[in-house]
Amino acid sequence: MKRIDPLVPAALALVALVLGMPALKPLFAWMFPDQARPLYEQDSFLSLTLGHLSLVAISSAVSVVVGVAVAIFVTRPAGRAFRPLAETLTAAGQTFPPIAVLAIAVPLLGFGPLPALIALALYGLLPVTEATVAGIEQVPSGVREAARGIGMSPAGILAKVELPLAAPVIVAGIRTSVIINIGTAAIASTVGVKTLGLPIIVGLSGFNTAYVLQGALVVGLLAVVVDLAFDRLGAFLDRWNRDAGAKTA
Amino acid sequence: MIRFEHVGKDYAGWTAIEDLSLTVEKGEFCVLIGPSGSGKTTTLKMINRLIEHDRGRILFEGAEIRSFAPEELRRRMGYAIQSIGLFPHWTVEENIGAVPKLLGWPRAKIRDRVTELLSMLTLDPERSRARYPRHLSGGEQQRIGVARALAASPSVLLMDEPFGALDPVTRDTLQAEMLRIQAASGTTVVLVTHDIDEAIRLASRIVILEGGRIVQSGSPREILASPANDFVADFVGRSDRGLRLLAAERVGDRMRRGETAAGEPLTVDASLREALSLFVARNVDRLPVSDTSGTLVGSIHLADLVRTPSPDAAP
Repeated sequence: MKRIDPLVPAALALVALVLGMPALKPLFAWMFPDQARPLYEQDSFLSLTLGHLSLVAISSAVSVVVGVAVAIFVTRPAGRAFRPLAETLTAAGQTFPPIAVLAIAVPLLGFGPLPALIALALYGLLPVTEATVAGIEQVPSGVREAARGIGMSPAGILAKVELPLAAPVIVAGIRTSVIINIGTAAIASTVGVKTLGLPIIVGLSGFNTAYVLQGALVVGLLAVVVDLAFDRLGAFLDRWNRDAGAKTA
Repeated sequence: MIRFEHVGKDYAGWTAIEDLSLTVEKGEFCVLIGPSGSGKTTTLKMINRLIEHDRGRILFEGAEIRSFAPEELRRRMGYAIQSIGLFPHWTVEENIGAVPKLLGWPRAKIRDRVTELLSMLTLDPERSRARYPRHLSGGEQQRIGVARALAASPSVLLMDEPFGALDPVTRDTLQAEMLRIQAASGTTVVLVTHDIDEAIRLASRIVILEGGRIVQSGSPREILASPANDFVADFVGRSDRGLRLLAAERVGDRMRRGETAAGEPLTVDASLREALSLFVARNVDRLPVSDTSGTLVGSIHLADLVRTPSPDAAP
């Protein structure tokens, strides 16, 4: 008997909730009888979800590209001296709350997605950089020595040995970064970006708990689905460490 | 094949290699031995430029090693180390085929070579090739390590304590396989160890290092018979020296051809030490000798073990 993969029901529930939110109107009306408008209807939840996802995707892509590049640089002989600096800067990136970054960025860049992207990308940088450095450093020294000794080039060692062996750890860092950003992206709606934070913020300012609940449910489920998907990816990258070896009899 | 000319290597504040001159001939099994910090591993790693020397010249097949790109040089030399360093995310086949792939061999040729090497190292090719290293025992992993080093038929094989982490039985088997492979392929081997018994068993020439200098270099028998100084005498073991001397010689060199004796035969390539052990265990003073295929070819007497070598055979 095969166990049912929790990713499948979670993803189905997410799709159903995003597309079928209007159908739940009677439920929210029953839960919040005092609300004249128990369902957030200014935007479709599909467009909010897509806006949310694209904001997370772009900011996380920036975090990953910059984070992995910085980590690779500081683990090369030439970049080793810059490691403390890089660690301090990425740590500072996460120490700054995104809301504070927004507060600084908006006067400079104006309302819209750009300040939100910068805030999220900075915030997500640390887990990626840290995980990539840790992943590259845990490659056994014997493996690295053998790779050099048999005549692999430095670029070949990075691409064929260090990164594949570090991949499960790097993906774990990306997973943390993306999950944090899915939650944090909601605040981007305070600077006028359409995300799932919009019903939450509208709900909070208008004392409409139903809106808050609807936004929060979708954000939460989105985080669960993405987390499970990363779990699958991590297991795939680590397959040489798990499966029973030879498939041939 | 490999020639060191007044080579030196300094690390911040101390000298690892003083003034080392050494020539390793083609087909030699050269064992570098010495205590920790004697410079044996440094010497080995200078050959494939994992460590760059500071003074002197190192020649490989007549050309200075600095005239090669490091990667090109390393691909022409096999390299096996104590920690093995198999790539855990690659199958046995991918690991062994690593150097041929770097050299751009066609896929089918790599596959055939992997099959050949696995059989040569007494592993079942079809059962082993698709497995990942973590599913192999230590002995199997080091066999793969040796196979990877031999994959592109290098003219020189560099080995840094390759059998140091293995249990005695596995080590013994792998040493025997190494001797067989080296004899069959004629590959020049430079091996580092701190185990004098391993050196005596494998080496055609032992180079003893201390404090970054060569203290003595010669065949196992030469070194055991006449240690150059007290350090070497201590190193080869004062009380065990006689036994080690026996370990350095083959039954085939001392046997009486054509004579016969009763009992289970020894083979010609057994060491005199094994013969002594058998004399004592069986409580006899003569043993039959067979060739490697099992045909009786002669016998050996207990007294032959202490027979002084004839003057022309003496070192």
